[in-house]
Amino acid sequence: MSAIIRLENVTKTYPMGEVEVHALRGLNLEVPQGQFVVLLGPSGSGKTTTLNLIGGLDRPTEGKVVVEGEDIARLNDRRLTQYRAAKVGFVFQFFNLIPTLTAAENIAFALELVTRDRKAIQERTAALLALVGLANRGNHFPSQLSGGEQQRVAIARALANRPSIVLADEPTGNLDVETGRQVLQALRDLNRQEGVTVVLVTHNTAIAPLADRVVRLHNGTVASDEHNPHPAPASALNW
Amino acid sequence: MRPTMRRKTWRDLRAAWAQSLALVVIVALGISSLMALTGAYRDLGASYRHTYDSLHFADVTFRVRAAPTAAAAKLAALDGVQAVTPRLVVDTGYELPDGVPIRARLIGIASGQQPAVNQVYLLEGEFLSSDDPQGVLVESHFAKAYGLHPGDTVTPIIMGKKTPLTVRGIVASPEYLIVSPSRQEVMPSARTFGVFFVALNELQRLTNAQGKVNEFCLLFTPHADADAVVKAARAVLTPYGVESATLAKDQPSAAALKLDLEGYREMSNTIPALILLVAALSLYVMLGRMVRSQRQQIGLMRALGYSRRQVAAHYLAFALLIGATGAVVGAGLGVLLARGITTAYATELGIPLIQVRFYPDLLLEGVLISLMLAALAGWGPTRAISRLRPAQAMRLNPVEALARGRRTLLERLLPWTFSLTVRMALRNAFRARRRAASTWISIVFAVMLVLMSWGMWDSMNYMLDRNFRQIERWDALAVFSQPQTSDALNDVRHWEGVREVTPALVFPVTLKADGQHKDVLLSALPPDQTMHRWFVLDGVSPLKALQDGGVLLTPLLAQNLSLNVGDTLTVQTPFGDKKVVLRGLVDELYGSNAFVGLDTAEAWTGAPVAVYTAFYVRAEADRLTALKKDLFRLPGAASATLKRDMERDWRSLMNLFYVFMGFLAVFAGGMAFAVLFNAMTVNVLERERELATMRAIGASLRRIAAMLALETVVLWLLAVAPGLFLGWYVGDAMMRSFSTELMTLQAHIETHSYVLTAVGVLITALLGALPAIRRVGKLNLAEATKILT
Repeated sequence: MSAIIRLENVTKTYPMGEVEVHALRGLNLEVPQGQFVVLLGPSGSGKTTTLNLIGGLDRPTEGKVVVEGEDIARLNDRRLTQYRAAKVGFVFQFFNLIPTLTAAENIAFALELVTRDRKAIQERTAALLALVGLANRGNHFPSQLSGGEQQRVAIARALANRPSIVLADEPTGNLDVETGRQVLQALRDLNRQEGVTVVLVTHNTAIAPLADRVVRLHNGTVASDEHNPHPAPASALNW
Repeated sequence: MRPTMRRKTWRDLRAAWAQSLALVVIVALGISSLMALTGAYRDLGASYRHTYDSLHFADVTFRVRAAPTAAAAKLAALDGVQAVTPRLVVDTGYELPDGVPIRARLIGIASGQQPAVNQVYLLEGEFLSSDDPQGVLVESHFAKAYGLHPGDTVTPIIMGKKTPLTVRGIVASPEYLIVSPSRQEVMPSARTFGVFFVALNELQRLTNAQGKVNEFCLLFTPHADADAVVKAARAVLTPYGVESATLAKDQPSAAALKLDLEGYREMSNTIPALILLVAALSLYVMLGRMVRSQRQQIGLMRALGYSRRQVAAHYLAFALLIGATGAVVGAGLGVLLARGITTAYATELGIPLIQVRFYPDLLLEGVLISLMLAALAGWGPTRAISRLRPAQAMRLNPVEALARGRRTLLERLLPWTFSLTVRMALRNAFRARRRAASTWISIVFAVMLVLMSWGMWDSMNYMLDRNFRQIERWDALAVFSQPQTSDALNDVRHWEGVREVTPALVFPVTLKADGQHKDVLLSALPPDQTMHRWFVLDGVSPLKALQDGGVLLTPLLAQNLSLNVGDTLTVQTPFGDKKVVLRGLVDELYGSNAFVGLDTAEAWTGAPVAVYTAFYVRAEADRLTALKKDLFRLPGAASATLKRDMERDWRSLMNLFYVFMGFLAVFAGGMAFAVLFNAMTVNVLERERELATMRAIGASLRRIAAMLALETVVLWLLAVAPGLFLGWYVGDAMMRSFSTELMTLQAHIETHSYVLTAVGVLITALLGALPAIRRVGKLNLAEATKILT
């Protein structure tokens, strides 16, 4: 399988007052297309930084972040924006839905970034809502949805433009266990059905069995990299 | 306050420096407007008083037919009289170098020393020496208008002869701070009326009035009984034919200055109050939003054990710091502006002794108002949030943190019309009602302030245009000191270039009603004339009113005399008291105009043949200069005026007003920008996570900018109509409050001003949003998408 994501000797240093914080220290990582990867690690291990670099939300201090053969670290702001709109789907810990848009409109908002075809937008929105089990909640505003429902809308939004990569940062961090399982299962199903590459960041080790591969980060480098030939269903997870 | 809290206060201010600065600007503008306008008002009043006191401005001036100079000694001996100056005053003509005649007043004063009363202030050159019969002192306004300096020659017409005199000095006179020939002619006329001070004995010689004077200027002792002194002086002068006794307050220049100052007082009270009100509301809204945005920190402080009082004190200190800084900046700016306004105003008017003072009470008032505004603005939200339980204040529930979304009424009515971007902008505009309301209020106030100042400018122009285009339809006006007959009228009608002549009788009268009286110039015109158009506000048509023997008055005059249409009043004329009925109120630029029919006035005079004291002339444009000369050369002509000159004088007088309005417009613009900048910045700050999310999922900055701009446009659309209405309403109220006998003002705002104001405020609002949009572009998306507020 070819690598859709490749991080080569990536370092990331943040100035913090008069000292520098080294979030990543020469990180190397390759993720093949269609893989479900969990990045595990304690706070400060560099997992969120890695996710942000892949998503084009941040730039590395040194090294390359190659996605689908293109070093995104070299893209200007406009092209980086286009990259995010077309190739990446984000799922945030706090869901980050736009409160003034309904569930359907939140998904359409992402779709409108790449197409103006109203009919296509409507059809795709309906299909995505059905996919995450919220076909009858499309006209509800985020404030009228539960946390789990909001996160599922966020997943649908992340998938709106058929991205090749979905990046999820602690997607269950603000959900109860049962809702968290549903969200994880939704991500797993989408990965399998749509062939989307998923990179999920968590500090929760209980989630690891869900993944095809578990990469543990420590102090800005890869501490371990394990492949899981028999991923567990989300229903089997407990935390 | 504890040291750490104190540090936090400073750092909070520094962190939100741009918003804090905008708040400081808002407070500073409010305070500086108070200090500048009120300070300038006081300075102007003080300058007038100082000039009057220093130059011994007469408490009363008696005009007699002719009296020996020695009569002054009898007056000086009266109780309550401190000093007396006898003088000879001769109204005559003056021919400008291009041959154009104007009016002149020669005042004979004892040479070699300043008169005891009504001294002059030497601005240039020297005083008249005792052995200099050919010397003349020229009043400064006239000298300025025609560029006269010591050494120049002037040629007033004395006894029908041009008499060359050498200018020895340029002087300011307390009697001519505003140059008006008479109480009835309040319009300053420096270009058409010159005042010259000459040696008394020389003027007596030139006018064949040796040993005679016709005016006595009296200065009272402190605490003198003015009525008693006037009565006693009148008794002394009765043998010499007392024509008038004019108290200081009724003296033409003093009365005009008083009217001017009254108008200014209204302005200096109203405008700062309005700006302070806007500042107070803006501060309340903005500080409230800033405090509420620190809700979590407040919860944390409470959780750590800080008392409610300590937390409240911290945020109050934040507000007070802004208030205090605004007060200091505003006070400094205000003092400078007050000096600038006073100096510009006084210099333009020719007030020689300018008093510019620092008013500690105003400073104290300004500082107290700022601190009170800031404290009130900061107190409400701080109190509300510090009362929250710490856990409640710190709660970070992403579901609860969401604003409630809802479809707008417009969408429900027209669901198919709007794109997602428009829908989002509409919903964002109303998602947080408090936020929307505060932004809306900011825009309403901005529109109001700008339109108000712009509208005053328009109104002034409109009033002048209306007066000189629609009301006054003559080209030249000749006023005669000796009545003219029909023969003279017919002569003028046949002059080259003359198209039409309307005769009139114009004479000073006193209108009396309900125990009140007003001195005005009464114009008697043929009811069907076309030279002066009457706009009737109340009552019957002018034709009918004047044909029926009635009188037309301006509303201000009727109001001052407590008269309604249909009431009877007494007109005290040189031909006796006459009873007339007020038949209509007419809208005029001058606040104190009165009109009767020509037939009515002719009947009053009792003259066997028709006589006239004024000719209104319509003529070819290229003949006007010559016409003016010819009219002035008519026997008995007191003045000849071209309408275009009169209009130029008015517009020149308005220059100061325009400067003032410009100043107000800059204030309004600055205020609008500061208010809108803060509103827009807070709008973005409160939604950073949401905007960062949009950026993260691929929305371009341009799209987000368009959305924010659209939100601003939505609020602007809702605010523009009430803002324009308020601007018109407040502007109208202000213009009415500034109306004096000198002129009647009312709001008349041009359509393009409404449009430009609305568009200008929209552009200001969008510019105000620019820094916020730039901030969105610079957001650390990785961090901002995790912020939960």
